[in-house]
Amino acid sequence: MATQAEQIDKAPGRWARKYPELGQEPLPVTPYIDPEYYEKEKARIFKKQWLYVALEREVPEVGSYKVRRLDCADTSVIIIRGKDNVIRAFHNACSHRGNTVVTETGQETYGRNRAGVVTCRFHGWVYDAKGALVNVPQEERFYSCFDKAENGLTEVHCDTWAGFIFVNVDAGPVQPLNEFLGGYADHFGGFDFAACDYGFTYHTTLNCNWKVASDAFAEAYHVDTIHAGSFPNVFEGPIEDVQLFGPHRTCSVRLQVDNLPQTPIGDLANQRSRGSLAAQGNASSLPPTLNPNREADWAFELSVLFPSVLLHVSEGIWFTHQFWPISHDKTLWEGKYYLNKPRTHSELWGFERAMVLQRNAWLEDTATMEDTYRAMLSGAKKVQHLQDEEILIRHNCKVVDDYVHG
Amino acid sequence: MFTLCPAEQVPADEPLRVVLDDGHAVAVYSWNGAYYCTDDLCTHGEASLAEGYVENGEIFCPFHMGSFCISTGEPRAAPCSVPIRSYSVIEQDGQLLIER
Repeated sequence: MATQAEQIDKAPGRWARKYPELGQEPLPVTPYIDPEYYEKEKARIFKKQWLYVALEREVPEVGSYKVRRLDCADTSVIIIRGKDNVIRAFHNACSHRGNTVVTETGQETYGRNRAGVVTCRFHGWVYDAKGALVNVPQEERFYSCFDKAENGLTEVHCDTWAGFIFVNVDAGPVQPLNEFLGGYADHFGGFDFAACDYGFTYHTTLNCNWKVASDAFAEAYHVDTIHAGSFPNVFEGPIEDVQLFGPHRTCSVRLQVDNLPQTPIGDLANQRSRGSLAAQGNASSLPPTLNPNREADWAFELSVLFPSVLLHVSEGIWFTHQFWPISHDKTLWEGKYYLNKPRTHSELWGFERAMVLQRNAWLEDTATMEDTYRAMLSGAKKVQHLQDEEILIRHNCKVVDDYVHG
Repeated sequence: MFTLCPAEQVPADEPLRVVLDDGHAVAVYSWNGAYYCTDDLCTHGEASLAEGYVENGEIFCPFHMGSFCISTGEPRAAPCSVPIRSYSVIEQDGQLLIER
């Protein structure tokens, strides 16, 4: 009787066989460098689809708010928790003369007002967390055609899943979030993201198209070469468990257990706390959908939450790479890494070491992106050649193209 | 005399809104070991001062960040310019009382 392992197609070309609709041909460079293509992406993807903008725990109390700048949708949004404990989102634009209501201090701005209001600092117009305009200084000097009740903040669609807050700035009716997420939500929904309440963040602006940056993280083929320093031969094998969920996608990345670095410091750190992906972990925090057969070489799930979030989940670890287009040739990259809060100093030390290791890897990753883009701009190469293990990139190119031309 | 509330109900770090028997709302403060009370409605906007922040003996209005002295009711920071009524607070058998 054949075992399950023997039935799994492991031969080269297996993902193309599983997903023949994605094709095998080289893919054009144009969508990465053409400003007009990017304008269509903005109009048909970033201004029409759900975007992950915050965690629920980033707005923990009544009156807590976060403002997220969305250059890709020509706006910024206020995400605020109201007195009714409901989280809503609004364009950060005053009804008076259009100033940003909350003054932004960067791509992400946080604050809280116990009264559950936000006040425009230009002329002092005050809005509550349901968007209603509740106070206008010198209101009596406005003309009779001005109606406070009709001049609240402009609300945007807002919904949550598994502690993640999403917005959709499309002014019309939109696909419900749970429908948009589909099977992706089922696959990851059992993981307790809130349990990982300790972490670190890096971000930088890169002179490249957002897809160049996203692609660079969406395959494990690069690890052997670019991460030869930080993760030597640790992830050299193929990806497994590729699944496509509508516009979203996932796979699992495997460890080469025999190649795990054996260093005195690394061994000590990994014995105390698993903060790094390059260490074996058990499956105590994993739902049955992740590493379902509890295989010893399973390292982490590498997934793409369309359009531009890479979500990785591992034992006691999750992290995201988010790629925010600023223009067709400029991208804000944010890497956010979460762990369980350390209980002892030795766990903290282990985590700190893991963070440094991860930082080094991310520096290696981001170092390629601007070079890739400059080379694309040269026009020397009209296409890119993807191998079978880069199936997630192929899927992304197809999904984006379907939206752009759809 | 109006009874406000038991003294222990007033948090040390933020004001408490109390509606008196006649329907008038006041804000009660615990600051620097003493109790203070002012009207709740800001004289500038339409905000409840009890939803504001106390710092250095001043209540900062949550709408426009103007402020009043919680002891005298005098405006301390613009755009507030009209004083707010303040009340002497008496503590009796664990209860806070004011006269108005």
